[in-house]
Amino acid sequence: MRIPAPAVVRQAHGLQKFMLLLGFGLVLFFIVVAIFAPWLAPYDFTQVRGSDGVAFGTQQGPSASHWFGTTVAGTDVLSRVIYGARTAVAVIVLAVILSGVVGVPLGLLSGYVGGWVDRLLVFVMDAMYAFPSLLLAIVVSIALSGGSSGAVGGILAAGISITVVFVPQYFRVIRNATLAVKAEPYVDAARVVGVRTPRILRRHVFSNVTSTLPVIGTLNASEAILTLAGLGFLGFGIEPTAAAEWGYDLNKALPDAASGIWWTGVFPGAAIVLIVLGSTLMGESLNDILNPLLRARGGETTTADEAEIDAEFKELTSDVDVDESIADAEGEPRTVAALSMRDLKVSFRTDAAPVRAVRGIGFDVAPGEVVAVVGESGSGKSVSSRAVMGLLPASAEVSGSAILNSGKAGGLKDGDRSRELIGLSQNHLRPIRGDRVSMVFQEPSTALNPVYTVGWQIIEGLKAHGDISKAEARARAVELLDLVGMPDPDQRVDYYPHQLSGGQKQRVVIAMAIACDPEVIIADEPTTALDVTVQASILELLLSLRDRLGTAIVLITHNMGVVADMADRVVVMYRGMIVEQAPVRQLFAAPEHPYTQALLDAVPHLGHADGPEPVPDESPVVLDIANLVVEFPAGLGKPSFRAVDDVSLQIRRGEVLGLVGESGSGKSTIGRTTVGLQKPTSGTVTVSGDEISSLSEAALRPLRSRFGFVFQDPAASLNPRMSILDCIAEPLRVQTELSEREVDSKVRSLLDSVELGGDYAERYPHELSGGQRQRVSLARALALDPDLLIADEPTSALDVSVQARVLELFAELQQRLQFACLFISHDLAVVDSLANRVAVMQYGRLVEVGTRTDVLSRPQEAYTQRLIAAVPVPDPEEQARRRAAH
Amino acid sequence: MTAEVLAPTEPPAADPARKRGGLNPLARYLLVRLALLIPMIWLLVTLVFLMMRVIGDPIQAALGGRLPADQIAERKAAAGLDRPILTQYWEYLTGILRGDFGVTLTDNRDVSDILVVNGAATLELAFWSLLVAFAVGIPLGRLAARYRDRLPDVALRLFSILVYAAPVFFVGLLLKLAFTPFGWPSSGRASTGTELTLQQVEPHTHIMIVDAILWGEPSLIWDVLQHAMLPAIALGLLTGGVFIRLVRVNLLQTLRMDYVTAARARGVSERRVLSKHAFRNALVPVVTVMGMQIAMLLGGAILTETTFEWKGLGYALAEYLIKRDFLAVQGIVTVIALIVGIMSFLIDMIVALVDPRVRF
Repeated sequence: MRIPAPAVVRQAHGLQKFMLLLGFGLVLFFIVVAIFAPWLAPYDFTQVRGSDGVAFGTQQGPSASHWFGTTVAGTDVLSRVIYGARTAVAVIVLAVILSGVVGVPLGLLSGYVGGWVDRLLVFVMDAMYAFPSLLLAIVVSIALSGGSSGAVGGILAAGISITVVFVPQYFRVIRNATLAVKAEPYVDAARVVGVRTPRILRRHVFSNVTSTLPVIGTLNASEAILTLAGLGFLGFGIEPTAAAEWGYDLNKALPDAASGIWWTGVFPGAAIVLIVLGSTLMGESLNDILNPLLRARGGETTTADEAEIDAEFKELTSDVDVDESIADAEGEPRTVAALSMRDLKVSFRTDAAPVRAVRGIGFDVAPGEVVAVVGESGSGKSVSSRAVMGLLPASAEVSGSAILNSGKAGGLKDGDRSRELIGLSQNHLRPIRGDRVSMVFQEPSTALNPVYTVGWQIIEGLKAHGDISKAEARARAVELLDLVGMPDPDQRVDYYPHQLSGGQKQRVVIAMAIACDPEVIIADEPTTALDVTVQASILELLLSLRDRLGTAIVLITHNMGVVADMADRVVVMYRGMIVEQAPVRQLFAAPEHPYTQALLDAVPHLGHADGPEPVPDESPVVLDIANLVVEFPAGLGKPSFRAVDDVSLQIRRGEVLGLVGESGSGKSTIGRTTVGLQKPTSGTVTVSGDEISSLSEAALRPLRSRFGFVFQDPAASLNPRMSILDCIAEPLRVQTELSEREVDSKVRSLLDSVELGGDYAERYPHELSGGQRQRVSLARALALDPDLLIADEPTSALDVSVQARVLELFAELQQRLQFACLFISHDLAVVDSLANRVAVMQYGRLVEVGTRTDVLSRPQEAYTQRLIAAVPVPDPEEQARRRAAH
Repeated sequence: MTAEVLAPTEPPAADPARKRGGLNPLARYLLVRLALLIPMIWLLVTLVFLMMRVIGDPIQAALGGRLPADQIAERKAAAGLDRPILTQYWEYLTGILRGDFGVTLTDNRDVSDILVVNGAATLELAFWSLLVAFAVGIPLGRLAARYRDRLPDVALRLFSILVYAAPVFFVGLLLKLAFTPFGWPSSGRASTGTELTLQQVEPHTHIMIVDAILWGEPSLIWDVLQHAMLPAIALGLLTGGVFIRLVRVNLLQTLRMDYVTAARARGVSERRVLSKHAFRNALVPVVTVMGMQIAMLLGGAILTETTFEWKGLGYALAEYLIKRDFLAVQGIVTVIALIVGIMSFLIDMIVALVDPRVRF
């Protein structure tokens, strides 16, 4: 579900700015005081007599000549506070710089290089981090200067001891950030092209990791001041005659407290509080501000995505008069419907204008009916369903009507047969959730709480809706698990979620959804995160439950095959509006709205595609994989995991080999091994005659111009801090001797060939849509005119219509440039549309290989047959026939 | 297509046999943690040893210039400091295993004796301040998460930053200024009379509150509590402030999780969602970080004890540091290193109990 991010209340933003300004102001104030100390302070910090020779007097209260009073030694408190600022700022600047200079490179190196270097450094740093920092600082201080010394020596000693204490912190934070960045596809993309480690560290890792530095810097400054004060308090700071120090003053002021003398301690103490407050406020607000920017990248659709879909839509509807009636549901809600929605509107309050996610939709679901709600990103399909259940965040405003009817004997709890759900308070909604309307979520691994057993969570749902004894609840939970097809339900009821597979977890989620016999189940992309064969069984389960229990099902999905398989009626949504509603056969056979037509055209159809013929045998072999084995060592005492088990493949020039399989089949590992991102355990990989699997990194580098790689995740395959030009130019800069001008023109011609002309070169990745980013990735992969292209699920993360465009482009380029291609995908229909040959993998082994028509139309192996049978085709008649045939 | 009970292509998830042997993975995890603990402790105590040697000859540093050279040499030999460094190191390590941490230079006490008496005092301080920290930190953290970005949250965040910014000895000073006019005691663990009386308690735990309860006289118990209050507040507030932010951040994170939405979708009450789902899961990272706070607590103890003349390990350490009695310092710091190591192991154990993913 897409929620405009960040949807914050206006107040918080103003507050953050205020905190940042306050913090900044305080820090600046102290820096100014520190610099201009000699001019600001009325006296010197050890001065005990005035210019007239008269002593100041000890422990005098605040007066005109001594605004803050005098200390027990007769010195002026105000002057000591001012000079103390100087000491504090000097030590802090020194310590923060030193810690950064030592800690950051160590963290970068340790995180990127890994191995025993990393383990050793982490071990040492953790031990140092665990040790009480003040003690460490004291000991280092003693070691350096015998305890206390002159000003510079003292400041240096204090600075170094604080550095020693804080290096582990910088190390830790930078190392973690490096590890996170290292795992990003754009770093892999750089490695594929042959970028050397120092350059990767510099251009890719460092620039993305440094955004955390201002935050740790300011927070460390705070701790450094406190450590310095602590040192001074205990007598291990700077020699008192050499410099003024607040902690030392507090130590001397302690005995005064018992006699009620407050000015000797309160003023230095307040100074410490204010400077640390300032520094911490700065750090915290910087963190709040910078973090959302970092987080906004991953997987969320951007305004560019919406703009792209919008543009397509406008193109489709520009010169067509669309008949409104195909979208409207009947005027009066059908009383026989289980759920009736009319004019439902949802908008989100954001810092900018409110975002209207749903703009007035209406449809009905009858008991026992499956209504599929389809749409692409931003269509509002998920938002509308969650609105019905009241599960939207507080920033959402919902209006309209959603009436829940109970056709069953007994009706709803308070005797009503129908209930308006929109506008109900949380208290009134709660009994309805799970009992009358329930939900099945997309991602089963996050929908289940990891710290409780599945039985506990099912029982919780049961207990929320009625009095039921423990024994009864447990028995019902076992019954439910059995109903959803869980093997050994009486044992698995006590399992934790992480002990179950993805499909089993989803069965648990479904069990929870049917626990109280609801009228309506809302299934939000229930099988999108599952493998194809697992998907088939889950859909089967939903249908059988529908038959048995007569539940109405609202099935939200973007997969037209699933719609053709499951739905009785279809509702097509676009940008918060319903574009067309019709019974399923009518929609597929004769779609009326141009958007629906275009959507259906864009969906690849297994068995109907116009895919290419096999390539002639005379073409040279570009990729030769022989007996490849890749094993990953597991932890202590566990057997290693064999991801690829004796696989042999060949791909010729101009040929596309579709490598299909479910998750865990090893197909991605093969792709990565082919480009040298993964070392094989045994076996060989030969590209254009050169055996690359046994080569060292240095020997492999010049050969890397032979292959290109396109990654799955459009959000992470481009370095967010590099312009599009730089992203595509990188392979050219690393592997060729071209001048800047030549590189520039080559990049622009590449952009033209992927239909991204003009000013795209100067833009940054976050400004592009997912589809556009994948096209940039393609351009980058083709920059060096490779012999071999590996595409790892290149369109799986894209919307249907966008996917169609990208695949079309891909096919065209492949035909023109005649590169060999290893096309890795789990989507058989996509593979059907562009592969010459197909290879099927399961559990690391090659199950079947052959021409496209052979494998996909006349599969020999049982697994392949099962795989093909499990893929729903976007044609209700055909899908019904396939079901009947089994 | 008939409904297949379990689609045959699903790879086996967790072997059912492993579930029956439930203790095994847990025991294995703990053994691994224990095995990692030993090198960590070894590293720490070696660091301590080296640091003390780097400072130089402790006897020279402590007594040089005050005694003629031959007497210094004599003392050195008596303390075994003229032997080869590896021998000293070996003696040091084996001594730790025996529980013998050496003898102080300046007042000829057994360091292990100091550890028992002063250690009990620090333990007591740690206990009271953790009590304050939990009582303050956790409920206020939950409150801040509940009213996110509204006034209570903002006020609490400012409060926790202020508490963090004020050094514990400054807070102590302010407390002393505020309470001394009312006759409230602000130094030591108990008044002299009470201390003397409690010396006679059998069995003698050295933990004042326990001894006072064993003795049974309410006025003594109140005296001990009075003395403990200000130091506990000073140190407890500092740790409590950290807890507030910790609980708040982690609670907010878990509230965003899908399983919280799923629980609401099941009709679970909001109160239950907050406590059983959000809070319970937020505990795991909170517990882990709390372990690291032990180090902070020990560091803070040295400052608090000095401020309030609380004769604990920190106070003793500060005293001996000033006297440059490095043998005593070495002994005390070694014990602190051991405590840190053991605490981190205990935290690992608690995490294993709280988070089942770690166990299997």
